[in-house]
Amino acid sequence: MENLIVTTPERTVMEHVDQPVEPPPADESVPACTFQVKNLSIWYGEKRAIDNVTLDIASNAVTAIIGPSGCGKSTFIRALNRMHELVPKTRVEGTVLLQGEDLYLNDVDPAIVRRRVGMVFQKSNPFPTMSIGENVVVGLRLNGVRDRKFLNERLEKSLRMAALWDEVKDDLHKPGTSLSGGQQQRLCIARALAVEPEVLLMDEPCSALDPIATAKIEELIYELKARYTIVTVTHNMQQAGRISDYTAFFYIGRLIEIGPTTKIFTNPTDRQTEDYITGRFG
Amino acid sequence: MIAPKHILGTFDEALASLRNNVLMMAGLTERSLERAMKGLFNRDDNLCANAIADDEEIDQLEIQIDRDGVAILLRFQPVASDLRRVVSAMKLSSNLERMADQATTIARRARKLNRHPHLDEVELMRPMYEHAMAMFKDSVDAFVREDVDLGRAVVLRDEKLDELNRVASDKLVARMAKDPDQLRGYLNLIFIGRCLERVGDHATNIAEDAVYAAAAEDIRHQTHAASV
Repeated sequence: MENLIVTTPERTVMEHVDQPVEPPPADESVPACTFQVKNLSIWYGEKRAIDNVTLDIASNAVTAIIGPSGCGKSTFIRALNRMHELVPKTRVEGTVLLQGEDLYLNDVDPAIVRRRVGMVFQKSNPFPTMSIGENVVVGLRLNGVRDRKFLNERLEKSLRMAALWDEVKDDLHKPGTSLSGGQQQRLCIARALAVEPEVLLMDEPCSALDPIATAKIEELIYELKARYTIVTVTHNMQQAGRISDYTAFFYIGRLIEIGPTTKIFTNPTDRQTEDYITGRFG
Repeated sequence: MIAPKHILGTFDEALASLRNNVLMMAGLTERSLERAMKGLFNRDDNLCANAIADDEEIDQLEIQIDRDGVAILLRFQPVASDLRRVVSAMKLSSNLERMADQATTIARRARKLNRHPHLDEVELMRPMYEHAMAMFKDSVDAFVREDVDLGRAVVLRDEKLDELNRVASDKLVARMAKDPDQLRGYLNLIFIGRCLERVGDHATNIAEDAVYAAAAEDIRHQTHAASV
């Protein structure tokens, strides 16, 4: 029994406390903004989907957009890379500044905007006729890149960033659709990263995935925010709480409230936000 | 303001049940403290025994509230005011359990005092008891009514209780020197005073939790924080 006594006078309880491995970030001031959205309104024909929204999106942070179905979440993030223009009869008022540049000026090429602002969708959508490798570098090829060494380097780098390299490095020639749902979604993230965007938009990236695949994507989002500004739409309140630094609540096309996620999920300012996140809506 | 019901009715039921158990626990703790102090003032051993017996039920309620609180966190993942209410309810139950332990200690000390001749100094406990109980009842009211102002006011009243305890202790220590034959009795009264002072501390904690639940404001340790 005496073997159970391990305490000596030199030992302290404090020994059990993990020491910080790196100093906390020193700068707690107002974060830099990647997007500045001012008085944005969007119509689909006669229907106004976004109603006079003004907000800033912080750089190298995850901003979650939450709100009930039809509140304009997806329209809003699509407006951040002009993807909504693919829907006929859309009209936009207001300004969207990306690093201070207005995305909606007449001389701005939407294709270049979409290269700078990548997007991942709810349902993974690898190109069905392409291999895993081809799926990743298709964006670069479409932009005229032909250098095989460069493409191979970017392929590996993108798959590594998407935490997929180790799982697929020996199967790069296999069809993208041969992967599991979670792997396909990470493949789509790798495809978006391959063109080295400044921002990653994600429209419910985990809603079709099982909990393990969801956890991998969430972990990936956490790692990617060191390099990218991420804006994600989610219906999952717990996910918004876990992965985001800022949360914006939309309702009937309007921005009701945006703030640090901890604040929104412990003490939201607006009654409508409180009712929505606590499940009292409608 | 009355919050609208949750879409999920079982969530409302679980929150209501948790709250009801906390209020039941508060009611039993109040009764236990009253029995213990009446046992002291009226020299009634039966009341003291009842106060000690109450503790078992209060302990069981603490376990139940913790279990229910964890179940709510697990099943419903509450946020915002719901989260604050669950966290506060669990903290309240911990404070109530400790208050009930003070009632048990008071009852045990009172039984010891009852075996010996009456000491007039027992009356030194009365203003402390009244003050501590008023703090306790108001702190629970602040939680029930989500009354931030009342919660803040309770916290400020703890200083007076500390002062009453200091004065009573000084008098009892002085009596010990003059009347060493009753030393044990005076010592028991000092311990009872200490228990009442702790009751005030727990009431303060409850009032602070009530303010947090109602307004998401953490008002703990403010004098200390201001002086650092």
